[in-house]
Amino acid sequence: MTLTFRLAWRNLWRHRRRTWLTASAMIFSNVLLVFMISLQFGSYEMMINNTLRAFSGHIQLQMAGYNENPKLRNSIADVRTVAKRVRERLPNAQVAARASGFALASSEERTFGIQLVGVEPDREPGVSSLPGLVRDGRFLDDPTAPEIFIGSTLARNLKVAVGDEITLLGSGRDGSFAAGIVTVAGIFESGMQDMDRSFAELPLTYFQDLFAMDGGGHSVVVMLPSLDRVAAAVTTLRNAPDIDGPLDVLDWEALNPGLKQAIQADMSSAWFMYAVLIVLVAFSVLNTQLMSVMERTREFGVISALGVRPRRLAGLILLETTLMALIGFALGVFLGWLITLYFNTAGFSYPGMEDFASRFNLPGKMYPSITPLSLVLGPAVVFVFCLLAALYPALRLLRLRPVDAMRTA
Amino acid sequence: MADIRCHELCKTYRQGDARIHALDHVTLDVEPGSFICLSGPSGSGKTTLLNAIGGLDELDSGEISIDGTRVDQLAQGPLADLRLHHIGFVFQAYNLIPVLTARENVEFVMQVQGVGAAARREKSMAILQEVGLEGMENRRPAQLSGGQQQRVAVARAIVSQPKLVLADEPTANLDSKSAEKLMELFRELNENHGVTFIIATHDERVMRHARRLIRMRDGKVTSDNKNVSD
Amino acid sequence: MGAGGQLPLGALARLAWRNLWRNRRRTAIMLLAIATGAWAMIFMTALMRGMVDQMVADGIDALPGYVQVHHPQYRDDPNIENSLAQPDAAFRAAMAAPDVQAWTSRVRVPAMISSARDSRGVTLLGVDPQGEIEVGFDPADIVAGRFLDSPGDGGLVVGRKLLERLETDLGKRVVIMSQGPDNTVADRGFRVVGVYKAQLEALEETFVYAGRDTVQAMLESGDRISEIAVTGYDYRNVAPLLERVRSAAGDHAEVLPWTELDPYLGSMMKVMDGFVLVWIVVIFMALSFGLVNTLMMAVFERIREFGLMQALGMKPAAILWQVLLESLMLLALGLLLGNLLAIASVWPLRDGLDLSIVGQGMEWFGAASVLYPALKPNDLLLANAVVIVLGILTSLLPAWRASRYRPVDAIART
Repeated sequence: MTLTFRLAWRNLWRHRRRTWLTASAMIFSNVLLVFMISLQFGSYEMMINNTLRAFSGHIQLQMAGYNENPKLRNSIADVRTVAKRVRERLPNAQVAARASGFALASSEERTFGIQLVGVEPDREPGVSSLPGLVRDGRFLDDPTAPEIFIGSTLARNLKVAVGDEITLLGSGRDGSFAAGIVTVAGIFESGMQDMDRSFAELPLTYFQDLFAMDGGGHSVVVMLPSLDRVAAAVTTLRNAPDIDGPLDVLDWEALNPGLKQAIQADMSSAWFMYAVLIVLVAFSVLNTQLMSVMERTREFGVISALGVRPRRLAGLILLETTLMALIGFALGVFLGWLITLYFNTAGFSYPGMEDFASRFNLPGKMYPSITPLSLVLGPAVVFVFCLLAALYPALRLLRLRPVDAMRTA
Repeated sequence: MADIRCHELCKTYRQGDARIHALDHVTLDVEPGSFICLSGPSGSGKTTLLNAIGGLDELDSGEISIDGTRVDQLAQGPLADLRLHHIGFVFQAYNLIPVLTARENVEFVMQVQGVGAAARREKSMAILQEVGLEGMENRRPAQLSGGQQQRVAVARAIVSQPKLVLADEPTANLDSKSAEKLMELFRELNENHGVTFIIATHDERVMRHARRLIRMRDGKVTSDNKNVSD
Repeated sequence: MGAGGQLPLGALARLAWRNLWRNRRRTAIMLLAIATGAWAMIFMTALMRGMVDQMVADGIDALPGYVQVHHPQYRDDPNIENSLAQPDAAFRAAMAAPDVQAWTSRVRVPAMISSARDSRGVTLLGVDPQGEIEVGFDPADIVAGRFLDSPGDGGLVVGRKLLERLETDLGKRVVIMSQGPDNTVADRGFRVVGVYKAQLEALEETFVYAGRDTVQAMLESGDRISEIAVTGYDYRNVAPLLERVRSAAGDHAEVLPWTELDPYLGSMMKVMDGFVLVWIVVIFMALSFGLVNTLMMAVFERIREFGLMQALGMKPAAILWQVLLESLMLLALGLLLGNLLAIASVWPLRDGLDLSIVGQGMEWFGAASVLYPALKPNDLLLANAVVIVLGILTSLLPAWRASRYRPVDAIART
């Protein structure tokens, strides 16, 4: 084995330039793959977290059908009790009750139709990042106070500041006329256009009074310590007899189908690109190893005339390829890691990205996330394909006939 | 008419730690129309001398002139022109361009010279006939025997009527009959067309044809017999 | 190329061509690699282009227009107070220019729509139906009922999704509330006379169409309008049109191109142009290692021949040319194959590639769920030019090396 190994190693360096060029093709793709995959993982993670943190949470409990068609009437009767039960089942989770509806909001000068959400002032900061994005004033603090927390664009459009009054007009759950006057407690700036422009939060109890909800609400939002606990939590809730039943337990993918599918769409185009890169590298390896076999035909003829089996020769070629692919793997992962590490701290951005990124709840700079998987995944696939590419030249050796081979110039 | 003067030619190679004197103060004059054999064991400097005369190799010191032109001082471009128009080469083996047919190989030089297609064709056919390769014009080198290949190489070397042909071990890969035929061809060209031949060889079959025999050893001329009788 | 020492191009090309096929297997593999690379460049570009072109086209139709004119405060505060007078005769005359395809003026205000069952915030558009169709509304998108027939039409056209949300139906009445001048609440009942579909559900939920005169009467805003939309013929080069509209609209109005009205779309197009080039170059680089390797091998095994040719009087430049020609032939053949492959694989998709599995995801990108690949001559040209030019540059190294062997060294090799 050691002799075969030594032989393979020396053969590899008979054509230094060729070996390096082929290894460079691997290194180039590996570096690119490491960086791209890390960037992808990083931005997906950020996209998911930012989207879920902003408002939707990891899990929501809603009445059946509410997610597809949110109606004021389709409400959970005693939303706080449901929230309490969820809290008992999931002691590590942050849980908050919400209710939501539409209303016409008027200031002294302007009127806009907006989405209103009633939240529990003490619970909401645990499930949503919005309360933390205060630009002026403060978040809500009293569950019954006639106060409102509004987006920055909306505040500008309504021409209101903290302390000003807004009149809300809408229709209640029972079809009655819903009207109230609220004071602006705080103004948030989330960077998400839709939220900043047409979204506002009220204390839950006040909301319930305004819209004649009679203690009802529309959703119980659950935020878990991390994304990977979602599946288990969903199972727990679905198996709880006092929670399941008329309520749907929806995970983040069901709550944000666009998010999941956007990631899928992006992934499939990325995988197409990666596949092309990998195939091109495999071609490079195929060509090099085929040449390497053909120019050594005579030599292989001599070796096999000495009694070495063709299978050993094929093994030698595969070993040579493995060594070369290992060099490509090691250097590719290392250089890829260095580059990714740099962007991991400095952030990666390209011209025009900011307009682009905000639409996907991303900041103007992206930070690739370095995980063992993101480092090794791409290069490992390249490694496998390089070996597969070397199979053809290696298998040709099985048909080698010593006499013919030695006659070759 | 190929009046060649070599004066104090020196050339050393490094081989490992040793310095090898390929040419050690070689002085030599060649009169036009000579038929010279350079003989000596391998490493005696024959090939180096040929290459130096043909402008393929640079000297450490010394002067070479052909018809008054200092070969050792020419730049690459004019050197290429000199070879193209005045010198023909025949090497030991791998003389031909493998992807070209026999005729195309012969025409190659003329093509580089810018000779028109019709003239090229006529000349190359004539010369291939002269070297006895009629009917084999369209074969590629791989389809010719060693002797036939060398004859194509000779045809190519003489087709543009150079005044000097430099041949390096032209018979090394040939059987006796082919070697004899090749030498007869050389002699005929020398006698009837006045082409000067310098042939490096250690093949007895070749030396028998020499009219002037120069022996070399360790980069020095050891003997120079100017009147070898036929 | 001077005489003597240089072969005529034809002879050089023949040499290069024959040399190319000396090692058929190697050449075939390299051809396959180049073809795969070229295919991937062109195919991927066609898909991405198709997606972005459609996004931009749909986006411009939804704006609508390549250029819009607003009151300087309107975009910040889309109230009827921030409005413009109906365009005057001079503006109309300026819009008769040949680079203006169509234009229209509209009222556009935020509003709330209520059915018997529910209420929604929407954008109310008071339009001239004829003008609206000219700047981009496609009457074929009406899935039920009819589009408006005049600026004075009292009916309302809403999106399919909105209709569903409001649990109302064609022919039913809905109430629209908005704000007139001086913060008076203006409201009016409308009968739903038509339902339209859009590529993006978000649009169906946002825009409701009514007659311009009707909306102006409801808001009591006289003949004031919110915006003027102008379309031209080339959305990539919007500057001349922008200039024309700017000079026609005067200094008191804000005139902006679509790239600034919808920065996401504008940057999407720019990012895509950049992406196409980066993608092509990356693929080329992945190819280049193999290309250099193949040429290096081809040169390496022919050193003796190059020496021989030089000994015969061929100048180094001619040898350089010969190797470059060989590389050019390889590249051109590979590209030809790759282009054909790309065209062959785009052709079956000409009726669109159905991506509805990830439809909501595509909507997130602002793209439709059916993708029509767009094979642009410019992209084809770019891909081929990049490969040829960079390919030749890359080949310079092996070619230069081939021409640098000293004949005596080359021949001495066995």
